[in-house]
Amino acid sequence: MKAREIVRVENVVKDFRPGFGLRRKRVLDGITLAVREGEIFGFVGPNGAGKTTTLKVLLGLIRASSGSARILGHDVRETAFRRHIGFLPENPYFHEFLTGREFLRFYARLAGLARRGREPRIGELLGWVGLAEAGDARLRTYSKGMLQRLGIAQALVHDPKVVFLDEPMSGLDPLGRKDIRDLILRLRDEGKTVFMNTHILPDVEMLCDRVAIIVRGRVRWEGRIEDFLADGAEPESDVVLARLSPELAGRLDERFGGALRGLGERVELRVPHKEVEGVVGAALGSGAELVSVTPHRASLEAIFLSAVDQGQKEGR
Amino acid sequence: MTSATRVLAVAGNTVREAIRNRVLYTLVAFAVVLIGASVVLSNLSYVEQGRILQDIAFASARLFGVAIAIAVGINLIYREVDRRTIYTILAKPISRCEFLLGKYLGLVATVWLQVLVMGAAFAAVSLVDGRPFGWPHAGALGLLGMELAVVVAVATLFSSFTTPTLAALFTTGVWIAGNLTRDLRRLAEQTQVEEIVGVARVLHQVLPDLAMFNLGLKASHGLPIAPGAEVVLPVAYALAYVAALLLLASLIFQRRDFR
Repeated sequence: MKAREIVRVENVVKDFRPGFGLRRKRVLDGITLAVREGEIFGFVGPNGAGKTTTLKVLLGLIRASSGSARILGHDVRETAFRRHIGFLPENPYFHEFLTGREFLRFYARLAGLARRGREPRIGELLGWVGLAEAGDARLRTYSKGMLQRLGIAQALVHDPKVVFLDEPMSGLDPLGRKDIRDLILRLRDEGKTVFMNTHILPDVEMLCDRVAIIVRGRVRWEGRIEDFLADGAEPESDVVLARLSPELAGRLDERFGGALRGLGERVELRVPHKEVEGVVGAALGSGAELVSVTPHRASLEAIFLSAVDQGQKEGR
Repeated sequence: MTSATRVLAVAGNTVREAIRNRVLYTLVAFAVVLIGASVVLSNLSYVEQGRILQDIAFASARLFGVAIAIAVGINLIYREVDRRTIYTILAKPISRCEFLLGKYLGLVATVWLQVLVMGAAFAAVSLVDGRPFGWPHAGALGLLGMELAVVVAVATLFSSFTTPTLAALFTTGVWIAGNLTRDLRRLAEQTQVEEIVGVARVLHQVLPDLAMFNLGLKASHGLPIAPGAEVVLPVAYALAYVAALLLLASLIFQRRDFR
C-alpha cells in the first residue's frame, strides 16, 4: 500500500524584488514535490538552488508568489496545524541568555504543551539528545554541536509528526555529524517523517529513503535512491583478483573493453553482474586468487553533477 | 492552549532577556543617580529648592524613560530577525500577531519596571528632602508609564519594517513632535490662516498628543489635578492609540517575508 502524502508542494513560484525599481528575481520556478509518511526525504541541491526558500515557504516564513503548499492536508499559511511540525534551521542561533531547560520550556509553551506534561518531556528530551547534565547551563556556553542537538530537542518538544531540518550537519565535526545522523535515524524509528535540506551527498546516501534534486529553483529529479542510482544502467560489480596470469588478464581486458585496472599486485575488473560467476571461475581455474566482489553503485555525486549541469544548460 | 498563553510566553521571554541585559541596568542606575543628584542641583537655586528638586528628578525620570523605551523598542523585531530566532518561534503554532503583541507587552512590562525603580528613587529623594510625595506624584509617574507605552508602540511599528537606526530616528522624531503638536495647533490657530490651521490640526490628530501625559509640573507645584480629564482620559487615549499602532504594525508584519 502506498504511504499517505504528508507534504505536497505544487508548482510553487517565488519571486523576490531585490530593491525598489529593480527587476524581480525568480528564486523558485515551479517547485513540485511530495513527501510520504514515515520517510526521510532528502532535498538536495547546490548552494543558492532554492532549498532554504522552499523550506521557508513550507514553514510560512515566506509567502509563495503562486502555487500551493500543504502539510498534513493544511495550507501552510494556516497556524494551528504547526503543532504537528518541528523545525531546525541551518546554523541555529538561539536566545543565549536562557539555559537549555528554560529554552525548551519556552518552546514547549509556544507549542501548546500542557503544564503538567512539560517538565517530564523536557527532561526526557534533554536526556535523548545527550544534554541532561548541561540543561541548567546558559546557551552561550554551549558548543555548536550541543546547540544543534538542543535545536533538535526544540523541534521535537511537542512530539510533532513531521520534522524539517535545514542543513542539520552543516559545520559540525565528524563526531557531531554522527550524533545528528543517529538522532535522525531514531526519528524514523519513532515513525516521524523527516524532510532534510542538505548538500552533503554521503549523508543523503546514508540516511534518505527518497530524494529530490533542486537546481536553479526547479526540481530536476525525485524518487527513491535505489531507483536513482540504478536509473537505466545495467548492474555491475567490481571483482578484485591477485596473481592473475598475464594471458588471462589480456583476454579479460579485451572482452570487457579495457575494464581492467592494475592495483599493484592485484587487478580490478568491472563486469556485469551476470558475468561475475564466469570470470571468477576462469580466474580461480587459472590459479589466481579472488580478493573481493563488490556490487558497483553509480555515485550519487555523479548523478547530482549531471542534474546540476542539465539545470545550468537550461538556465542559459 | 489559548492565545493568551502563547502571548504571555513571548512576553515573559522578552522580560527575561531585558532583565539579563546589563546595558539596561546601567541606564537605570544612571537615571537613579541623576534623580539623586537633583538634591545637589536644587541647592544651586535661591528660591523654591524643593520644587526645583522634584522638577529635575521628574525630568530625569522622563528623559531616561523615553531613552530606554526607544532603545529597547527599536530592537524589538529586528534582533529576532537578525539572529534568526524568529524562524523557530514562528514555526510553532503562534500567529505573527500574537508574537508581535507578546514582544510589545514584554517590553512595556520591562519599561514599567524601570519606571517603578525610578519612581522609588524619586519618592526617596523627595522624602529625604522633606518634600511631599503623594497621589499627584504617583499619578504623574503612572502617566509617564502610559506615555512610554505609546513610545514603545511607535518603536514597534517602525521596528516591524525598518532598521534600528531608522526606527530610532523616526521614534525620536515622533516623540519630539508629539510633545509639540498641541502648542503648534494653538499657534497655528492664532495665525487664522485656514491651510496652516488645517495642517496643524491633522498633525495633532495623527501624531500622538504626548503633552497630555506630562503631569510632573502640576504635581511638583502642588496644583490641583482633575482625575477625569487629566488621568482617565489620557489613559483611555493611550490605550486606543497603542491599539491602533499595534494593529498597523501587525498588518505590516503579517506581509513580511523572512528571507
